[in-house]
Amino acid sequence: MTETGKAVSELLDNMAMKILMVEPGDLSVVGDLLDLGEQLVTSTDAANTPVLQRMGTAFRAALEKIIMAELPDSAENYEQLGRCIAQMQEVVRKEGVADDSALASFVGGLGAVGYPVAVGELAGEGDNPAPAKAAPSPSPSPALAAAPVAAPSLGATPLPDFLQDKDLLSGFIDEAFEHLESIEVNVLELEQTPGDLEIINNIFRPFHTIKGVSGFLNLKTINKLAHATENLLDDVRNGKRAMDSDVIDIVLSVGDCLKEMVQNIKEVLERGPECYQEADISAFVARIKQLQEGEGGAPIEVKVKPVVGAAPAVPAAPAAPVAVEEVAVPAFRPAARPAVAAAAAEAEEEEVGQRGATADKGGGQRKRLGSSIKVDVEKLDALVNAVGELVIMQSLVRQNPLVSRLADPKLAKDFSQLSRITSELQRTAMAMRMVPIRQTFDKMIRLVRDLSKKTGKKADLIMEGAETEIDRNMVDSIYDPLVHMMRNSVDHGIQTPEERSKVGKSPTGAVHLRAYQKGGNMVIEIEDDGEGLNSQKIKQKAVSRGIIQPGDSLSDHELNNLIFMPGFSTAEKITDVSGRGVGMDVVKKAVEKLRGKVEVQSQPGKGCLFVIRLPLTLAIIDGIIVRVGSERYIIPTIAIQESMKPDRKKYNTVHNRGETLLVRGELIPIIRLYQVFGVEGTTYTDPCDAIVVVVENEGRKRALMVDELLGKEEVVIKNLGGMQDVPGVAGGTILGDGRVGLILDLAGVISSSAE
Amino acid sequence: MEAAVEVRLGQGGGGAGDLAGKYLTFSLGAEDYGLGILKVREIIGVMEITAVPHTPSYIKGVINLRGRVIPVLDLRLKFAMPPEEYDERTCIIVVEVQGKGGSVQVGMVVDSVSEVLNISADEIEPPPALGASRETSNILGMAKVKGEVKILLDIDQVVGDGVLKRFEGQ
Repeated sequence: MTETGKAVSELLDNMAMKILMVEPGDLSVVGDLLDLGEQLVTSTDAANTPVLQRMGTAFRAALEKIIMAELPDSAENYEQLGRCIAQMQEVVRKEGVADDSALASFVGGLGAVGYPVAVGELAGEGDNPAPAKAAPSPSPSPALAAAPVAAPSLGATPLPDFLQDKDLLSGFIDEAFEHLESIEVNVLELEQTPGDLEIINNIFRPFHTIKGVSGFLNLKTINKLAHATENLLDDVRNGKRAMDSDVIDIVLSVGDCLKEMVQNIKEVLERGPECYQEADISAFVARIKQLQEGEGGAPIEVKVKPVVGAAPAVPAAPAAPVAVEEVAVPAFRPAARPAVAAAAAEAEEEEVGQRGATADKGGGQRKRLGSSIKVDVEKLDALVNAVGELVIMQSLVRQNPLVSRLADPKLAKDFSQLSRITSELQRTAMAMRMVPIRQTFDKMIRLVRDLSKKTGKKADLIMEGAETEIDRNMVDSIYDPLVHMMRNSVDHGIQTPEERSKVGKSPTGAVHLRAYQKGGNMVIEIEDDGEGLNSQKIKQKAVSRGIIQPGDSLSDHELNNLIFMPGFSTAEKITDVSGRGVGMDVVKKAVEKLRGKVEVQSQPGKGCLFVIRLPLTLAIIDGIIVRVGSERYIIPTIAIQESMKPDRKKYNTVHNRGETLLVRGELIPIIRLYQVFGVEGTTYTDPCDAIVVVVENEGRKRALMVDELLGKEEVVIKNLGGMQDVPGVAGGTILGDGRVGLILDLAGVISSSAE
Repeated sequence: MEAAVEVRLGQGGGGAGDLAGKYLTFSLGAEDYGLGILKVREIIGVMEITAVPHTPSYIKGVINLRGRVIPVLDLRLKFAMPPEEYDERTCIIVVEVQGKGGSVQVGMVVDSVSEVLNISADEIEPPPALGASRETSNILGMAKVKGEVKILLDIDQVVGDGVLKRFEGQ
């Protein structure tokens, strides 16, 4: 595959991931998707893959129509678009050649969305359709920029006057996100144990802080909304009102809305004040007021409810001048303290004073037990680098012939003391990059709650090992695949309550989410007690898609793991939640990008277990060092299956060019590393004299021919200083002798050997 | 970004007048070159270089500079001059330039390093026109100092065009 081809297929993978995340009404994800579509169109090569470019253009245009509300923003439409993405992936897989069925399916998908395109047009028969389709693109873009966040009033919005102190503001943004997350977690916890005063306090306090600080920073809208919510919660605290599901729903959606507003402020900070959007919070405020007045519990809310739910998401609503006069917004303390932290602290102190000890003990305090500071990631990386270098220098000094000849017991003792200190230092430096996975796990609570509401299934989420630590840089990348797998488990795994009762299971399903460390890996397991996979159905599908031959005998385990193949989805009925024609292959790719592995085990009728194995950190890779001529390369251990000195009887050539090796009944192509990398002076040129290392990447197995295996080592990955994407090389590392060794990127090696 | 701008003010920019300043001079074969001193991080002797596959031949590979992996390019090969065995006078000049993701350090192999010269504006002439086939875009100007000509290099251009771009189909 060419470089562009790879970039395009990556883009499509991203799009596939995004389309899974789209919820109707959630235009910010659609915005991301449109962004990716835009990139797709610009990065596809009009000369080599004209069809793909035209498909991309059509896809983008359809998305724009959805964003402009010209086409319905509905789950069905996203399903169809998901199918279109799958077809584009198919075209990329076929190196830009689109067959009629793929085009027909693509056109069918877009047609169902309400954006009819002719097959001939895509295939290029109509010739020069580009201008016609490119036309819609200029006009929607300004609207798009404004679309994702609530209620844009565009030009009418006065520029924000909160930009005076950017440092304070960025501090507030980080803090606010933390607070909002803790609110969400606590609200969901409260749902389990309603009436727990401590949890109510834990929800109240962050709102109070956000209110205080946002007021101090002149963020009026945020302040107003947080204040209204705080008032409502205060009623709950004082027993004026019960904490029922209405309150929980409004608090959750207020949290979402606040998150978007804070996100917008972050964008303003990053890109300039023109990004600022005034959010329309009137619906929330009205609803809160209604809840407060309807203390008796009169259910008048039914009508208002959908409005509230939609308010943060539907940008079409005109930004009515905020109608909140009636909600008394008392002038909050003019916090004259210079720092945000001080204002926040003040707010909390007063809190404690006012409400008395009973209300405030425990809870929120436990988080503040271990104090922490925020450190720039760059500084951390510099420290890790320096420590790595220290370890290498130490061993160089130690191995110096002059030094090692000194048989001085004092020196030996000092050396061992030194190495103890350096390894301690190294461990600490590494540990500083690690954060508990709790943050990511906590987001799943909300997800499962929403999912079970939507699908009518009942599921409990049971989390274990949320304190397990994971590399900071992996947290974001693991989120999307996890969401997809959770959805998969709830939507396809867990049966409906009726079906469950029928087979004698408790009507409420259970999804276990576990994290633990094992043998230098971080393991995440998602286990449901649902239906399990249907191996026979998978087999049929795999045969019909030509992935396996009808006669192939595969174990159930092997069959089950076919679901990670591209374009594989066995869901019979496509639901709103998953099954949009893009499937687990996206998860597998995302996990492999983190140099991890994903596997599924299933017991029919009893459930499914997905196991993700990830390296503990992205900074270190566990690798086998091999020698090719005078060069040394590092092959990631996780990809290695075995290594051997091949038997001549198992060695075959094809057309005298391609070479294969028969390993355990499988013909595996041989890649001569020295040829791919142009290394001269290798010890061996006959694969049967040399050593081959059998590796697997994205389901493809290859036998890499090397001269020698030098050993196994954990090495620190470094980039090649400004050099971009060298094919076949994932990065460099400093080996024990101080020289640089290159870490192989197997996907790159395999594709560059194919050229 | 700011650093780059500063340096520009000192010795980059359009007119020859802006180019005055201190230059590190070095030789490649019979030619003498100058390099704005603010771009130079350090000068080291030649060490073992790990070759990187699929890169142009003038990229010798990468070295370990105190725990940092940096690319090294051979200026002789970059300027299409005949290669020369490395000897004890061969040096690697480590320069720092602005890449896309912040500053990057790059090593450049030269025959030998000479001295640091203070070059005034009236000693500098614009790059010569050598005809369309000769590329002079990476030359800031020509300095005549004590009867010798030093070619003043636009190192951002040399590195940007030689190392930081994507290598396709090599």
